[in-house]
Amino acid sequence: MREKTTTLYLGPQHPGITGNMMVKLQVQGDTVVKAETHVGYLHRGFEKLMERRNWLQSFTIVCRICVPEPDPNEENYSRAVEEIEGREVPERAKYIRVMTLELARIATYLLWYGGQSGSAGLYTMGQWSVGDRNYILDLFEDLTGGRIYHMYIWPGGVRRDLPKGFKDKALRTMDYIEKRLDDYDKLLFENSIFQKRAKGVGIIDKKKAVEWGVVGPPLRGCGIKSDVRIDDPYEVYDKLDFEVPAMEGGDVWTRALIRRFEIRQSINLVRQALDKMPGGEYYNKIPNPHKWTIPAGDAFVKTESARGEFGYYMVSDGGNKPRRVHVKGPAYVHGVSLLENLLEGENIADVSFIMNSLGTCPPEIER
Amino acid sequence: MYNDKESQKIVDIIQNYARKHSLFILAYGTGCGAIEIPPTMTSRYDAERFGIRGSATPRQADVLLITGYLATKSLKRVIKVYEQMQDPKYVIGFGSCTINGGMYWDSYNTINVLDKYLPVDVYINGCMPRPEAVIAGFVKLQKLIQQGKADGWDIYKKNIDEYKANQKKIITNWVMPDFNF
Amino acid sequence: MSENKLNKEQLLLDLLKKKFILNESAVRRAKRVEVKVDPKEIIPVLLYAKENSRYISFAHMSCVDWIEDGEFEVVYILWNPEDKINLFVKTRISRDNGVLPNIDFIWRQANTYEREIREMFGIQFEGLVGRQEFILEDWEHMPPMRRDFDTAEFVKKTYFKRPGREDAKDVREFVQERTDEELPDFAKKYSRD
Repeated sequence: MREKTTTLYLGPQHPGITGNMMVKLQVQGDTVVKAETHVGYLHRGFEKLMERRNWLQSFTIVCRICVPEPDPNEENYSRAVEEIEGREVPERAKYIRVMTLELARIATYLLWYGGQSGSAGLYTMGQWSVGDRNYILDLFEDLTGGRIYHMYIWPGGVRRDLPKGFKDKALRTMDYIEKRLDDYDKLLFENSIFQKRAKGVGIIDKKKAVEWGVVGPPLRGCGIKSDVRIDDPYEVYDKLDFEVPAMEGGDVWTRALIRRFEIRQSINLVRQALDKMPGGEYYNKIPNPHKWTIPAGDAFVKTESARGEFGYYMVSDGGNKPRRVHVKGPAYVHGVSLLENLLEGENIADVSFIMNSLGTCPPEIER
Repeated sequence: MYNDKESQKIVDIIQNYARKHSLFILAYGTGCGAIEIPPTMTSRYDAERFGIRGSATPRQADVLLITGYLATKSLKRVIKVYEQMQDPKYVIGFGSCTINGGMYWDSYNTINVLDKYLPVDVYINGCMPRPEAVIAGFVKLQKLIQQGKADGWDIYKKNIDEYKANQKKIITNWVMPDFNF
Repeated sequence: MSENKLNKEQLLLDLLKKKFILNESAVRRAKRVEVKVDPKEIIPVLLYAKENSRYISFAHMSCVDWIEDGEFEVVYILWNPEDKINLFVKTRISRDNGVLPNIDFIWRQANTYEREIREMFGIQFEGLVGRQEFILEDWEHMPPMRRDFDTAEFVKKTYFKRPGREDAKDVREFVQERTDEELPDFAKKYSRD
């Protein structure tokens, strides 16, 4: 008997989908034969808006591009401006930036724990990790004044110095999170249901990963050691001691293990950055923002976010507004063509599971 | 009938009391505000003590949370979802961008004033609103429900022509039925 | 930056210069080589970079609208993980009826970039498959990322505005008018003109 092909629309209103996007599936039984991603439900035209705002005003909107992890955007924007303009950044600011980026990475991984386990039906994990994420957001609130959007890393340094007692609080929080990670292992990684769901699902092989330009944890989960922090060190990552894991496998399970390992590395990096942080200035003053012009030129900078390489291409025509800022997030590579390719032959139940493991984030696909 | 507090019958008071303590939010993250919903639902803020919890499908949901800016492509889906929900239903505009466009006021792809397209009962301002603000917004909605003043769904039905005209002004290719009730 | 430090960059540029006709090309900074070519040279240059110079990673592709010159500038950014150099390949095409070759047989993810540039700028790519609509839906106007598309004017025509702040006055002026107070010095320093 021939099986009938049915069209199934997953999203945009679906609790399993990551954000606001839609995957149109052609299914036979419960096997996906063809998938098509539809994005654009969150398009705000950031790149157009930045053409209308001056350099400082543009800085305030870039963090809205990626919601779970806004800091790599600020970092990229600032570094692109600094590269075109040749502006120096004080050493202390560099350490503060590294610490902020790593804190953001931890927060994103904690949210990922919730998403990945939630799509497998383990809701307790999400309650724990999203609850613990609040402690990182508290640190951000102390440091920057905002829980989600910080607008903290700006051209020339950071916006504020560390508040009094921040170092102790941050170290205490790191100790707490590190302790909790063992609990997470028991709940998620030792759970045989999760293991059975994750092993052998959503496999990206090495050749395909290179061919499709996979970045971040999915690439390292294919056994390729590639990380912007090591390949093209920015800020002070070359002075810090850390390890980037790479494992063979390429399935959801391997990607989960990579993240499990990396969150510990980030905790280590926060401690190192706080420890080695020198004194001195934290900010190199910018001129009057209304008259601030940047010489003509272009730059491409990239940052390793929790989901992979985040790139900004910026062009200045010598005026007081950016000529063009083009954002490339990791989900731009993973979430459209790779996802379509990867979902073929998988079960319907695994679709949101795979999407979570790739870290698909629609706001940065369409901006 | 619901508009005036004095004219509330005892049945309405009991009904409204029950309604306000079981608000099921539709799990539709229409914008970036959806990032503050998981913290609101989990241990520290624990919105479930107010009877607020998620619902997967529009037919079972009471509250439609518009979490931030609405792109025109999203607006079409939101209208469809809103009309599928059962009466009484409430809309909460979450974040500054639902009020007046916020920082996307000059964006070609996002609507600016949400209550021209959907009847909004409560606005929560801020970019982004903290979980405390979200809970405060819900408490405000509960008060309005008890008083019988959260009647946006009724207003939507009465002024359906005006709302439809506004919606069709933006959605040029209207391929769905006019009403999804 | 001393001369000998930019060896690798210069080597690559010389190699490309020997092989192709380059317009104006230079080693801009450390880790950064820029070549400008004609549209018809795009595929040979990119293929050469990928196959012979190990520029295996396609980092970015972008388009800039130079309305003053009547041209679009399309930039392909490649990354060599071994030498750690960014290669910028730039080409310029006419704003009116520009056509570029499709490169998604070299790097698969280029398909996504090309679809976005086609929609946002209206540049056609020869033989590009994929749905015409990528991000926008039922868009009947000029491609929005072109410089001559005025988004504020479009918003004024299309969307509603909440009353208040019609004058869009500087907040500091507004406060000063209302309170008759002298502005503090730090606020004066950041004046618009």
